[in-house]
Amino acid sequence: MEELQRINIKVYLQDPQSLSSEEVFRVFNEWIVDNTDEVLVDVADYDHVGNGPLTLLIGHEANYSLDSDLGEMGLLYTRKQPQGGELSERLAGALRAALRACHRLETAAELAGKVAFRGGDLKITANDRLRAPNTEDGERALREALDPVLTALFCSASYAVERDTSSGERLSLRVRAEGDFTPETLLANLAN
Amino acid sequence: MSSTTWKEALASHMAADLAEEIDIFETQIHLRKQGKIEEKLFAETRLRRGAYGQRYDNGQRYDGAKTQQLRYPDVPTKGPDTAWDAPGMMRIKIPFGGLNTEQMAVLADLAEEYSDEILHITTRQDIQLHYVHIDDTPDLMRRLAAVGITTREACGNSVRNITACPLSGVCHTELFDVTPYAQATMRFLLGHEDCQDFGRKFKIAFSGCRHEACGLANMHDMGAVAAVRQTDGTQQRGFELYVGGGLGAVPHQAQLFSEFLPEEELLPTAQAIARVFARLGEKRNRNRARIKFLIAKLGIEEFRRLVEEERKILPHDPRWTAYLSDLHAYDEEALKAPQPLANGAADDAFTTWKRTNVYAQRQAGYSVATIALPLGDLTSRQMRDLIAICKQYVCDTVRTTVEQNIVLRWVSDADLPQLFADLQAAGLDQPGAGTLVDITSCPGTDTCKLGIASSRGLAAELRKRIALKGVELDEAIEGLRIKISGCFNSCGQHHAADIGFYGNSRKINGITVPHFQVVLGGQWRENAGSFGLAMGAVPSKNIPEVVERLSQRYIEEREQNESFQSYIQRMGKRDIKAMLDDLTLVPPFEENSWYYQDWGDTRTFTIDDLGKGECAGEVVSATVMEIAAAEREVFEAQVKLEEGDIDGAVQIAYRAIVRSARALVREQFYDVPDSADSVVSEFRTRFFDSELFSLQFANYFFTAHQEGTHGLDATAAHRRIEEAQLFIEGAYTCYDKIAAELA
Repeated sequence: MEELQRINIKVYLQDPQSLSSEEVFRVFNEWIVDNTDEVLVDVADYDHVGNGPLTLLIGHEANYSLDSDLGEMGLLYTRKQPQGGELSERLAGALRAALRACHRLETAAELAGKVAFRGGDLKITANDRLRAPNTEDGERALREALDPVLTALFCSASYAVERDTSSGERLSLRVRAEGDFTPETLLANLAN
Repeated sequence: MSSTTWKEALASHMAADLAEEIDIFETQIHLRKQGKIEEKLFAETRLRRGAYGQRYDNGQRYDGAKTQQLRYPDVPTKGPDTAWDAPGMMRIKIPFGGLNTEQMAVLADLAEEYSDEILHITTRQDIQLHYVHIDDTPDLMRRLAAVGITTREACGNSVRNITACPLSGVCHTELFDVTPYAQATMRFLLGHEDCQDFGRKFKIAFSGCRHEACGLANMHDMGAVAAVRQTDGTQQRGFELYVGGGLGAVPHQAQLFSEFLPEEELLPTAQAIARVFARLGEKRNRNRARIKFLIAKLGIEEFRRLVEEERKILPHDPRWTAYLSDLHAYDEEALKAPQPLANGAADDAFTTWKRTNVYAQRQAGYSVATIALPLGDLTSRQMRDLIAICKQYVCDTVRTTVEQNIVLRWVSDADLPQLFADLQAAGLDQPGAGTLVDITSCPGTDTCKLGIASSRGLAAELRKRIALKGVELDEAIEGLRIKISGCFNSCGQHHAADIGFYGNSRKINGITVPHFQVVLGGQWRENAGSFGLAMGAVPSKNIPEVVERLSQRYIEEREQNESFQSYIQRMGKRDIKAMLDDLTLVPPFEENSWYYQDWGDTRTFTIDDLGKGECAGEVVSATVMEIAAAEREVFEAQVKLEEGDIDGAVQIAYRAIVRSARALVREQFYDVPDSADSVVSEFRTRFFDSELFSLQFANYFFTAHQEGTHGLDATAAHRRIEEAQLFIEGAYTCYDKIAAELA
């Protein structure tokens, strides 16, 4: 588990209807132009698949998508390239990147402040079946690295964690914290 | 917690040859990164392993106002005009479209871990994953190899995926099931020595009958249509064999090579055709390098004569007929007993879906259910849902189709309502398979370097509009096919559609506007029996109106039972053009900038980011490929030596010398036997005695052959590896000399 590099973070929208694929397509294209932190490459439109990565921003280090998997709309961050540090640091790094993207959408001028994310509701996926099998042992190993990060993230507020045990699924943990958290607050918590 | 690699984890699950090939490819990636393989060679190498560049791989992307450079972290490239780190496309060959649930599960896993959770079905029954990083490709290939799938020769100048009718074995009109023949041909030609020196790709299709669309034999380099004849009172199987068909910018109808090719002659004839194509096909001008141009140049009679001559001198290969004793190995069985569909009230959605998506099999009580996939895409979650559905209703297998759908065969009729309900739950219940709404499209500007206009964007828009009409569609037009290509290269098969489009562009007051050329009257049935006619370019944003107007006029003006093809012919180009004339007008940008964007894109249109296509591959001779492979073996020998395996290092170094020597010998004696003794003997006569090759380096070969590969100490092993490298340098020099003389 310590070698895990591929980490996905999904943050859910408060109002699933608040963001359309078309709007995100436009915003993601602007990110390619404006971005300086990472290499962003292209935007793909998969709106026709119904539930899934409806609009996808492809990057070198990571992808971002407006994702409606299982009918739940949110922003999905998919880390692809290796990060430095220990696993807990890499998990924190992925969380920071996902939350920054959420905050950027929330504050995007063209979206006129209509978008808000439920920062206290996250899905964290170990996107590597070899290094992070979806088993109880896998969960335990991931939690060892993740729990300190979540404690800092939610400023010691309590949270519940549930593993998706469906057949074929990757090791995915749904994390629900008590209380309301905005991406901005969570970013500040992680910075402390 | 496991920290093993996929290579270790799957070592015992992969066929040895596939595993070795993937290891080799991984080494080649490392060598390329170290600058030890030249770009062009590596480009063709990765293409032959199915790793394809995407549109923005040249390191730049149009942002709506200007073309900006993408700042990849590394400067080197992974092939001409392609940046190293740009995520690319992985094409996965699915022979005859056949997949089992284990394979489907792995494909879903790969889509999630290395791609974007989307699986794309192509117009040739492949599956493509996009945005895959090249560093991930060896593990991706290993995981596929562990379930019997290869990406080898999915791209590049090679024999591509072999397609076949998805109804094979259950079809009413087929003469026999072509599945085992397609599979045998794929296995025989995969990696075959005679298929490594083509100037362009080579596509093969199988069809069970002549009159349906099925295998689309007429638009393939080699199309085999099932045929039978009576010989001495017994029925003999064979094929009506066509060659030289193809779409592309200039479509060619295939020509009849043989009215009846006995089944035992299928593989040797394919091999002989491959040899003639490799030997005489164009290599320099890639626009004229497909076999259709060779056949047009030679004439079918001369081409046939050459192939027959070649066939006579082919060394016998037991694989030509070995599979014939096991033709039933690919028979599929039903999971459940045949039961009729219960009478009674059915909801409208089921009735609509059943009408268009269900085909009654030849075997009573069973049906084929088509899962219509918008733009050929499904998510990894849908693939998993489909696995569960397969296990519930059929015996473990599905097939992809050239119309970018998936079919479930052997569904007991009684299960159809519940199957539909399960497909609904998975979002896989789209009706209209094989109708006007079931639009085929190539990737176009979304990901293809050659795309001019957004074929997928247009397909999505048309699909949305036609689907809205739903059951109101007039019966006359419901069965028409729309097919869209992003450029003239026809990957969307627009020539074979009733209504086809291909992307182009026009300048309006100095500003580029996306357009589509309208191609009408192609024939999908009869194995793509005839091709459509170009009627003129229309702005992309007016194409939905073109479809609306054409279909309406056809409904109103057709004569009794007149087909769409006949209607188009009767109307003639002039009248059709007049019908569409007003739709060709584009308002000035200041008046309506909407026309200056493409479907599904918010940026102002441009063709500035067009790149060099990869479908043609890079023309690298088989000899150079072999010498490069030998060079890679020398690298492996060095690694072995570093690991302390002296004997292993010496053996590999020797193998590398023999390999490069044999590659040169084959320039003069194509069928040189594999044995080292034969290679030494032929090399001595042809290259040493004639002084074509450096005498000093040649002697390294003879000494190595004489001394053998055992008992050398580390110093001698090191020297042997150095000599192997020098021999390979000599081989390159010698080949350059030969090639220059030929030129």
